[in-house]
Amino acid sequence: MVYAAQVTKVNLKDIGEREEVETFLREFGLILDGDVDYTCVIRDEEPSPQFSLKQRAPIVATCSKAKNVLKCFAIAHDLRGEGMAATLVTALIDRLFREGIHHYFVYTNPCQVKIFSALGFKLIHQNQAVALLENGIYDIRQHLEELKTTYDIGTAERAALVMNCNPFTLGHQFLIEEAAHNHREVLVFIVEEDRSLFPFAARLALVAEGTKHLPNVKVIPSGEYIISSATFPAYFLREEGERLQAYAELDASIFGKYFCSSFQILKRYVGEEPYCPVTKAYNETLKKVLPIYGVELEEIPRKPFADEPISASRVRSLLREGEAANLINLLPEVTLKFLDTSLGREIVEKIQQTHSPH
Amino acid sequence: MKITKVAKAGTLESNDILIMVSPKDRGIIELDIESIVMQQFGEVIEQVILHKVQEMGVEGVSIKAQDRGALDYTIAARVETALNRAI
Repeated sequence: MVYAAQVTKVNLKDIGEREEVETFLREFGLILDGDVDYTCVIRDEEPSPQFSLKQRAPIVATCSKAKNVLKCFAIAHDLRGEGMAATLVTALIDRLFREGIHHYFVYTNPCQVKIFSALGFKLIHQNQAVALLENGIYDIRQHLEELKTTYDIGTAERAALVMNCNPFTLGHQFLIEEAAHNHREVLVFIVEEDRSLFPFAARLALVAEGTKHLPNVKVIPSGEYIISSATFPAYFLREEGERLQAYAELDASIFGKYFCSSFQILKRYVGEEPYCPVTKAYNETLKKVLPIYGVELEEIPRKPFADEPISASRVRSLLREGEAANLINLLPEVTLKFLDTSLGREIVEKIQQTHSPH
Repeated sequence: MKITKVAKAGTLESNDILIMVSPKDRGIIELDIESIVMQQFGEVIEQVILHKVQEMGVEGVSIKAQDRGALDYTIAARVETALNRAI
Protein backbone atom coordinates (compact mmCIF):
# COMPACT_ATOMS: atom_id res chain seq x y z
CA MET A 1 0.00 0.00 0.00
CA VAL A 2 1.33 3.42 -0.92
CA TYR A 3 0.18 6.25 1.31
CA ALA A 4 0.37 9.84 0.06
CA ALA A 5 2.28 8.80 -3.01
CA GLN A 6 5.44 10.78 -3.67
CA VAL A 7 6.22 11.54 -7.28
CA THR A 8 9.90 11.74 -8.16
CA LYS A 9 11.60 12.84 -11.32
CA VAL A 10 13.78 10.34 -13.18
CA ASN A 11 17.16 11.49 -14.38
CA LEU A 12 16.95 10.25 -17.96
CA LYS A 13 20.66 10.77 -18.46
CA ASP A 14 21.44 8.24 -15.73
CA ILE A 15 21.61 4.87 -17.47
CA GLY A 16 20.72 2.97 -14.28
CA GLU A 17 17.59 5.02 -13.59
CA ARG A 18 16.53 4.87 -17.20
CA GLU A 19 16.92 1.10 -17.31
CA GLU A 20 14.84 0.77 -14.16
CA VAL A 21 11.92 2.57 -15.87
CA GLU A 22 12.41 0.51 -19.03
CA THR A 23 12.27 -2.71 -17.04
CA PHE A 24 9.10 -1.61 -15.29
CA LEU A 25 7.44 -0.61 -18.59
CA ARG A 26 8.39 -3.91 -20.19
CA GLU A 27 6.04 -5.72 -17.77
CA PHE A 28 3.20 -3.86 -19.49
CA GLY A 29 4.47 -4.46 -23.01
CA LEU A 30 5.59 -0.83 -23.28
CA ILE A 31 8.87 0.81 -24.16
CA LEU A 32 10.31 4.16 -23.13
CA ASP A 33 10.04 6.06 -26.42
CA GLY A 34 13.18 7.71 -27.70
CA ASP A 35 11.65 11.20 -27.84
CA VAL A 36 10.66 11.28 -24.15
CA ASP A 37 12.03 14.40 -22.42
CA TYR A 38 10.61 14.01 -18.91
CA THR A 39 9.75 10.96 -16.83
CA CYS A 40 8.43 10.66 -13.31
CA VAL A 41 7.76 7.65 -11.09
CA ILE A 42 6.02 6.69 -7.88
CA ARG A 43 7.92 4.22 -5.70
CA ASP A 44 6.65 1.68 -3.23
CA GLU A 45 7.01 3.27 0.17
CA GLU A 46 6.56 0.27 2.39
CA PRO A 47 9.79 -0.18 4.31
CA SER A 48 11.06 -3.56 3.33
CA PRO A 49 14.02 -5.35 4.82
CA GLN A 50 15.02 -6.73 1.46
CA PHE A 51 16.04 -3.27 0.27
CA SER A 52 19.10 -1.84 1.82
CA LEU A 53 19.21 1.91 2.44
CA LYS A 54 21.27 2.44 -0.65
CA GLN A 55 18.86 0.68 -2.91
CA ARG A 56 15.71 2.48 -3.96
CA ALA A 57 12.27 0.99 -3.43
CA PRO A 58 10.78 -0.47 -6.63
CA ILE A 59 8.75 1.62 -9.08
CA VAL A 60 4.99 1.10 -8.87
CA ALA A 61 3.81 3.69 -11.39
CA THR A 62 5.29 5.89 -14.11
CA CYS A 63 4.39 8.45 -16.76
CA SER A 64 6.48 10.39 -19.29
CA LYS A 65 6.09 13.15 -21.80
CA ALA A 66 7.60 14.15 -25.11
CA LYS A 67 7.10 17.90 -25.52
CA ASN A 68 3.30 18.27 -25.20
CA VAL A 69 2.38 14.59 -25.43
CA LEU A 70 1.95 12.37 -22.36
CA LYS A 71 3.04 8.79 -22.97
CA CYS A 72 4.61 5.60 -21.56
CA PHE A 73 2.06 5.45 -18.79
CA ALA A 74 1.86 2.40 -16.49
CA ILE A 75 0.59 1.57 -13.00
CA ALA A 76 1.23 -1.69 -11.12
CA HIS A 77 -1.84 -3.94 -11.33
CA ASP A 78 -2.38 -4.18 -7.58
CA LEU A 79 -2.37 -0.39 -7.17
CA ARG A 80 -5.00 0.49 -9.74
CA GLY A 81 -7.99 2.41 -8.44
CA GLU A 82 -5.91 4.17 -5.76
CA GLY A 83 -5.81 7.50 -7.56
CA MET A 84 -2.26 7.02 -8.84
CA ALA A 85 -3.23 8.18 -12.32
CA ALA A 86 -4.47 11.50 -10.94
CA THR A 87 -1.25 11.98 -8.97
CA LEU A 88 0.96 11.23 -11.96
CA VAL A 89 -1.00 13.32 -14.43
CA THR A 90 -1.04 16.25 -11.99
CA ALA A 91 2.75 16.02 -11.70
CA LEU A 92 3.07 16.03 -15.49
CA ILE A 93 0.72 19.03 -15.83
CA ASP A 94 2.86 20.90 -13.27
CA ARG A 95 5.89 20.21 -15.40
CA LEU A 96 4.12 21.21 -18.64
CA PHE A 97 3.02 24.54 -17.16
CA ARG A 98 6.53 25.18 -15.93
CA GLU A 99 7.70 24.72 -19.52
CA GLY A 100 5.02 27.14 -20.70
CA ILE A 101 2.94 24.40 -22.36
CA HIS A 102 -0.76 24.92 -21.59
CA HIS A 103 -2.33 22.46 -23.94
CA TYR A 104 -1.38 18.80 -24.18
CA PHE A 105 -2.28 15.41 -25.59
CA VAL A 106 -2.38 11.80 -24.49
CA TYR A 107 -1.68 9.08 -26.98
CA THR A 108 -2.96 5.81 -25.60
CA ASN A 109 -4.49 2.44 -26.10
CA PRO A 110 -8.28 2.70 -26.73
CA CYS A 111 -8.96 0.64 -23.59
CA GLN A 112 -7.34 3.36 -21.43
CA VAL A 113 -9.58 6.15 -22.70
CA LYS A 114 -11.82 5.89 -19.63
CA ILE A 115 -8.97 6.59 -17.20
CA PHE A 116 -8.01 9.79 -18.99
CA SER A 117 -11.57 10.99 -19.60
CA ALA A 118 -12.10 10.77 -15.86
CA LEU A 119 -9.12 13.13 -15.50
CA GLY A 120 -10.67 15.75 -17.75
CA PHE A 121 -9.12 14.71 -21.06
CA LYS A 122 -11.38 14.94 -24.10
CA LEU A 123 -11.31 12.31 -26.79
CA ILE A 124 -10.44 13.70 -30.22
CA HIS A 125 -10.53 10.44 -32.12
CA GLN A 126 -9.87 6.75 -31.67
CA ASN A 127 -9.50 3.73 -33.92
CA GLN A 128 -8.79 0.11 -33.13
CA ALA A 129 -5.14 0.69 -32.32
CA VAL A 130 -4.80 4.17 -30.82
CA ALA A 131 -6.74 6.95 -29.15
CA LEU A 132 -5.81 10.63 -29.00
CA LEU A 133 -7.13 12.81 -26.19
CA GLU A 134 -6.43 16.41 -25.27
CA ASN A 135 -6.67 18.72 -22.30
CA GLY A 136 -5.59 22.23 -21.38
CA ILE A 137 -6.74 25.78 -21.86
CA TYR A 138 -8.30 25.20 -25.29
CA ASP A 139 -9.52 22.33 -27.45
CA ILE A 140 -9.81 21.49 -31.13
CA ARG A 141 -13.19 23.19 -31.56
CA GLN A 142 -11.91 26.44 -30.09
CA HIS A 143 -8.80 26.15 -32.28
CA LEU A 144 -10.95 25.81 -35.41
CA GLU A 145 -13.14 28.75 -34.40
CA GLU A 146 -10.04 30.86 -33.97
CA LEU A 147 -8.68 29.88 -37.40
CA LYS A 148 -12.02 30.81 -38.89
CA THR A 149 -11.82 34.34 -37.50
CA THR A 150 -8.09 34.86 -38.04
CA TYR A 151 -8.13 33.77 -41.67
CA ASP A 152 -11.65 34.98 -42.42
CA ILE A 153 -12.82 31.57 -43.58
CA GLY A 154 -16.39 32.01 -44.73
CA THR A 155 -19.11 29.52 -45.54
CA ALA A 156 -18.29 28.93 -49.21
CA GLU A 157 -17.15 25.49 -50.28
CA ARG A 158 -13.44 25.01 -50.75
CA ALA A 159 -10.49 22.68 -51.27
CA ALA A 160 -7.46 22.11 -49.08
CA LEU A 161 -3.87 20.94 -49.22
CA VAL A 162 -1.49 19.99 -46.45
CA MET A 163 2.17 20.48 -47.29
CA ASN A 164 5.51 20.47 -45.60
CA CYS A 165 7.28 22.37 -48.42
CA ASN A 166 10.79 21.54 -47.31
CA PRO A 167 11.54 23.64 -49.36
CA PHE A 168 8.81 25.12 -51.59
CA THR A 169 9.27 23.79 -55.15
CA LEU A 170 7.71 24.37 -58.56
CA GLY A 171 5.89 21.09 -57.90
CA HIS A 172 4.15 22.52 -54.83
CA GLN A 173 3.34 25.69 -56.69
CA PHE A 174 1.87 23.71 -59.59
CA LEU A 175 -0.31 21.67 -57.24
CA ILE A 176 -1.65 24.78 -55.49
CA GLU A 177 -2.28 26.45 -58.86
CA GLU A 178 -4.26 23.40 -60.02
CA ALA A 179 -6.44 23.51 -56.91
CA ALA A 180 -6.85 27.30 -57.14
CA HIS A 181 -7.98 26.95 -60.75
CA ASN A 182 -10.70 24.46 -59.84
CA HIS A 183 -12.10 25.98 -56.63
CA ARG A 184 -13.36 29.30 -55.37
CA GLU A 185 -11.13 29.11 -52.33
CA VAL A 186 -8.16 26.98 -51.37
CA LEU A 187 -6.64 26.53 -47.92
CA VAL A 188 -2.99 25.50 -47.81
CA PHE A 189 -1.93 24.15 -44.43
CA ILE A 190 1.82 24.23 -43.86
CA VAL A 191 3.12 21.61 -41.42
CA GLU A 192 4.04 23.59 -38.33
CA GLU A 193 6.12 20.96 -36.55
CA ASP A 194 9.69 22.19 -36.66
CA ARG A 195 11.47 18.95 -37.48
CA SER A 196 12.42 19.69 -41.05
CA LEU A 197 15.68 21.08 -42.39
CA PHE A 198 13.90 24.24 -43.49
CA PRO A 199 12.38 25.91 -40.42
CA PHE A 200 8.62 26.43 -40.26
CA ALA A 201 8.75 30.23 -40.42
CA ALA A 202 10.80 30.08 -43.63
CA ARG A 203 8.59 27.42 -45.22
CA LEU A 204 5.44 29.39 -44.43
CA ALA A 205 6.88 32.64 -45.75
CA LEU A 206 8.03 31.01 -49.01
CA VAL A 207 4.63 29.51 -49.72
CA ALA A 208 2.83 32.76 -48.86
CA GLU A 209 5.14 34.70 -51.16
CA GLY A 210 5.04 32.07 -53.90
CA THR A 211 1.23 32.01 -54.05
CA LYS A 212 0.71 35.78 -53.96
CA HIS A 213 -0.48 35.69 -57.55
CA LEU A 214 -3.40 33.46 -56.52
CA PRO A 215 -5.92 35.66 -54.67
CA ASN A 216 -8.14 32.75 -53.67
CA VAL A 217 -5.39 30.88 -51.77
CA LYS A 218 -4.96 31.19 -48.00
CA VAL A 219 -1.77 29.90 -46.41
CA ILE A 220 -2.32 28.72 -42.82
CA PRO A 221 -0.08 27.11 -40.17
CA SER A 222 -1.23 23.51 -39.68
CA GLY A 223 -1.23 23.79 -35.89
CA GLU A 224 -1.14 20.86 -33.52
CA TYR A 225 -3.92 18.88 -35.17
CA ILE A 226 -2.56 18.13 -38.67
CA ILE A 227 0.61 16.07 -39.13
CA SER A 228 2.05 17.10 -35.77
CA SER A 229 4.03 14.99 -33.34
CA ALA A 230 0.72 14.53 -31.51
CA THR A 231 -1.45 13.39 -34.40
CA PHE A 232 1.18 11.70 -36.51
CA PRO A 233 4.47 10.95 -34.73
CA ALA A 234 5.31 8.21 -37.24
CA TYR A 235 5.66 10.82 -39.97
CA PHE A 236 8.61 12.34 -38.16
CA LEU A 237 10.05 9.08 -36.87
CA ARG A 238 9.77 7.57 -40.38
CA GLU A 239 8.14 4.49 -38.96
CA GLU A 240 6.47 1.97 -41.21
CA GLY A 241 4.11 -0.93 -40.70
CA GLU A 242 1.21 -1.22 -38.30
CA ARG A 243 1.99 1.79 -36.17
CA LEU A 244 2.25 3.99 -39.24
CA GLN A 245 -1.12 2.72 -40.42
CA ALA A 246 -2.80 3.53 -37.10
CA TYR A 247 -1.28 7.01 -36.91
CA ALA A 248 -2.07 7.83 -40.54
CA GLU A 249 -5.67 6.73 -40.02
CA LEU A 250 -5.92 8.94 -36.93
CA ASP A 251 -4.49 11.99 -38.70
CA ALA A 252 -6.72 11.53 -41.74
CA SER A 253 -9.81 11.06 -39.57
CA ILE A 254 -9.12 14.21 -37.55
CA PHE A 255 -8.78 16.15 -40.78
CA GLY A 256 -12.05 14.79 -42.14
CA LYS A 257 -14.03 14.89 -38.91
CA TYR A 258 -13.01 18.34 -37.72
CA PHE A 259 -11.33 20.44 -40.40
CA CYS A 260 -13.39 19.43 -43.42
CA SER A 261 -16.70 19.71 -41.60
CA SER A 262 -16.01 23.11 -40.02
CA PHE A 263 -14.43 24.65 -43.10
CA GLN A 264 -16.66 23.05 -45.77
CA ILE A 265 -13.68 21.40 -47.42
CA LEU A 266 -14.98 19.19 -50.21
CA LYS A 267 -11.72 18.06 -51.68
CA ARG A 268 -8.18 17.54 -50.54
CA TYR A 269 -5.37 17.57 -53.09
CA VAL A 270 -2.17 15.58 -52.77
CA GLY A 271 0.72 15.10 -55.12
CA GLU A 272 1.55 11.58 -56.22
CA GLU A 273 4.36 10.31 -54.06
CA PRO A 274 7.04 8.53 -56.05
CA TYR A 275 9.75 8.32 -53.38
CA CYS A 276 8.85 8.33 -49.71
CA PRO A 277 7.08 5.15 -48.50
CA VAL A 278 5.66 6.93 -45.44
CA THR A 279 4.02 9.69 -47.48
CA LYS A 280 2.83 7.11 -50.01
CA ALA A 281 1.14 5.07 -47.28
CA TYR A 282 -0.35 8.28 -45.87
CA ASN A 283 -1.86 9.16 -49.27
CA GLU A 284 -3.36 5.66 -49.52
CA THR A 285 -4.92 6.08 -46.08
CA LEU A 286 -6.35 9.50 -46.99
CA LYS A 287 -7.95 7.88 -50.02
CA LYS A 288 -9.71 5.39 -47.77
CA VAL A 289 -10.61 7.62 -44.82
CA LEU A 290 -11.67 10.99 -46.28
CA PRO A 291 -14.68 9.63 -48.23
CA ILE A 292 -16.12 8.47 -44.88
CA TYR A 293 -16.46 12.16 -44.06
CA GLY A 294 -17.78 13.06 -47.50
CA VAL A 295 -14.48 14.46 -48.73
CA GLU A 296 -12.89 13.60 -52.04
CA LEU A 297 -9.17 13.03 -52.44
CA GLU A 298 -7.57 14.10 -55.68
CA GLU A 299 -4.13 12.75 -56.41
CA ILE A 300 -2.37 14.85 -59.01
CA PRO A 301 0.63 13.48 -60.91
CA ARG A 302 3.77 15.40 -60.05
CA LYS A 303 4.99 18.09 -62.35
CA PRO A 304 8.08 16.63 -64.03
CA PHE A 305 11.33 18.18 -65.10
CA ALA A 306 13.61 16.20 -67.40
CA ASP A 307 11.28 13.19 -67.08
CA GLU A 308 11.66 13.07 -63.32
CA PRO A 309 9.04 14.33 -60.90
CA ILE A 310 9.90 17.52 -59.05
CA SER A 311 10.02 16.94 -55.33
CA ALA A 312 11.50 18.61 -52.27
CA SER A 313 13.61 15.53 -51.54
CA ARG A 314 15.11 15.75 -55.04
CA VAL A 315 15.93 19.40 -54.32
CA ARG A 316 17.55 18.48 -51.01
CA SER A 317 19.71 15.79 -52.57
CA LEU A 318 20.86 18.25 -55.25
CA LEU A 319 21.72 20.73 -52.51
CA ARG A 320 23.56 17.99 -50.65
CA GLU A 321 25.60 17.12 -53.70
CA GLY A 322 26.33 20.79 -54.31
CA GLU A 323 24.63 20.83 -57.71
CA ALA A 324 22.80 24.08 -57.12
CA ALA A 325 22.94 25.02 -60.81
CA ASN A 326 20.24 22.47 -61.65
CA LEU A 327 17.82 23.96 -59.11
CA ILE A 328 16.65 26.73 -61.39
CA ASN A 329 14.30 24.26 -63.10
CA LEU A 330 12.90 22.88 -59.85
CA LEU A 331 12.39 25.91 -57.64
CA PRO A 332 10.32 29.06 -57.94
CA GLU A 333 12.12 32.38 -57.74
CA VAL A 334 11.18 32.98 -54.09
CA THR A 335 12.93 29.82 -52.97
CA LEU A 336 16.00 30.49 -55.14
CA LYS A 337 16.25 33.96 -53.61
CA PHE A 338 15.85 32.54 -50.12
CA LEU A 339 18.68 30.04 -50.65
CA ASP A 340 20.90 32.99 -51.37
CA THR A 341 20.19 34.71 -48.04
CA SER A 342 22.40 34.10 -45.02
CA LEU A 343 19.75 31.88 -43.37
CA GLY A 344 19.34 29.99 -46.65
CA ARG A 345 23.07 29.36 -46.96
CA GLU A 346 23.18 28.20 -43.35
CA ILE A 347 20.45 25.63 -44.08
CA VAL A 348 22.23 24.40 -47.22
CA GLU A 349 25.35 23.87 -45.14
CA LYS A 350 23.32 21.89 -42.61
CA ILE A 351 21.84 19.76 -45.40
CA GLN A 352 25.32 18.95 -46.64
CA GLN A 353 26.36 17.82 -43.19
CA THR A 354 23.39 15.59 -42.35
CA HIS A 355 21.58 12.69 -43.89
CA SER A 356 18.19 13.52 -42.44
CA PRO A 357 15.37 12.41 -44.75
CA HIS A 358 13.68 15.74 -43.96
CA MET B 1 -7.08 43.37 -11.73
CA LYS B 2 -5.75 42.36 -15.11
CA ILE B 3 -4.83 38.79 -16.05
CA THR B 4 -1.64 38.81 -18.09
CA LYS B 5 -0.59 35.18 -18.34
CA VAL B 6 -1.69 31.58 -18.13
CA ALA B 7 -1.58 30.02 -14.67
CA LYS B 8 -3.07 27.16 -12.71
CA ALA B 9 -3.66 25.97 -9.16
CA GLY B 10 -4.90 22.74 -7.64
CA THR B 11 -4.62 19.10 -8.62
CA LEU B 12 -6.65 16.29 -10.16
CA GLU B 13 -6.71 14.36 -6.88
CA SER B 14 -10.02 13.39 -5.30
CA ASN B 15 -11.64 16.24 -3.31
CA ASP B 16 -9.60 18.85 -5.14
CA ILE B 17 -10.12 21.04 -8.18
CA LEU B 18 -7.70 22.06 -10.95
CA ILE B 19 -8.18 25.66 -12.03
CA MET B 20 -6.54 27.00 -15.20
CA VAL B 21 -6.85 30.67 -16.03
CA SER B 22 -5.79 32.58 -19.15
CA PRO B 23 -6.18 36.16 -20.39
CA LYS B 24 -9.23 37.17 -22.42
CA ASP B 25 -9.83 40.59 -23.87
CA ARG B 26 -12.79 42.94 -23.86
CA GLY B 27 -13.69 42.32 -20.24
CA ILE B 28 -15.10 38.87 -20.94
CA ILE B 29 -15.40 36.31 -18.16
CA GLU B 30 -15.46 32.85 -19.67
CA LEU B 31 -16.07 29.86 -17.44
CA ASP B 32 -15.91 26.19 -18.33
CA ILE B 33 -16.63 23.70 -15.55
CA GLU B 34 -16.22 19.95 -15.63
CA SER B 35 -17.18 18.09 -12.50
CA ILE B 36 -17.91 14.59 -11.34
CA VAL B 37 -20.78 16.13 -9.36
CA MET B 38 -21.96 18.52 -12.10
CA GLN B 39 -25.58 17.49 -11.80
CA GLN B 40 -25.77 17.98 -8.05
CA PHE B 41 -23.41 20.91 -7.49
CA GLY B 42 -22.67 22.48 -10.89
CA GLU B 43 -24.49 25.71 -10.05
CA VAL B 44 -22.89 26.05 -6.62
CA ILE B 45 -19.40 25.58 -8.13
CA GLU B 46 -20.15 28.25 -10.72
CA GLN B 47 -21.36 30.68 -8.04
CA VAL B 48 -18.32 30.11 -5.83
CA ILE B 49 -15.93 30.72 -8.75
CA LEU B 50 -17.73 33.80 -10.08
CA HIS B 51 -18.04 35.25 -6.60
CA LYS B 52 -14.28 34.96 -6.11
CA VAL B 53 -13.61 36.51 -9.51
CA GLN B 54 -15.81 39.49 -8.66
CA GLU B 55 -14.39 39.82 -5.17
CA MET B 56 -10.90 40.11 -6.65
CA GLY B 57 -12.09 42.55 -9.30
CA VAL B 58 -10.82 40.48 -12.20
CA GLU B 59 -11.97 41.26 -15.72
CA GLY B 60 -11.06 39.58 -18.97
CA VAL B 61 -10.33 36.01 -18.01
CA SER B 62 -11.02 32.51 -19.22
CA ILE B 63 -11.32 29.96 -16.42
CA LYS B 64 -11.27 26.23 -16.89
CA ALA B 65 -12.22 24.22 -13.82
CA GLN B 66 -11.77 20.46 -13.57
CA ASP B 67 -13.46 19.47 -10.36
CA ARG B 68 -12.98 16.20 -8.53
CA GLY B 69 -15.45 16.87 -5.74
CA ALA B 70 -13.80 19.83 -3.99
CA LEU B 71 -15.54 21.62 -1.11
CA ASP B 72 -16.55 25.27 -1.50
CA TYR B 73 -13.61 26.76 0.37
CA THR B 74 -11.17 24.59 -1.57
CA ILE B 75 -12.65 25.87 -4.80
CA ALA B 76 -12.42 29.50 -3.63
CA ALA B 77 -8.82 29.03 -2.49
CA ARG B 78 -7.74 27.40 -5.76
CA VAL B 79 -9.39 30.14 -7.84
CA GLU B 80 -7.74 32.85 -5.75
CA THR B 81 -4.30 31.27 -6.07
CA ALA B 82 -4.63 30.70 -9.80
CA LEU B 83 -5.72 34.30 -10.39
CA ASN B 84 -2.92 35.69 -8.24
CA ARG B 85 -0.41 33.65 -10.21
CA ALA B 86 -1.81 34.99 -13.47
CA ILE B 87 -1.48 38.71 -12.76
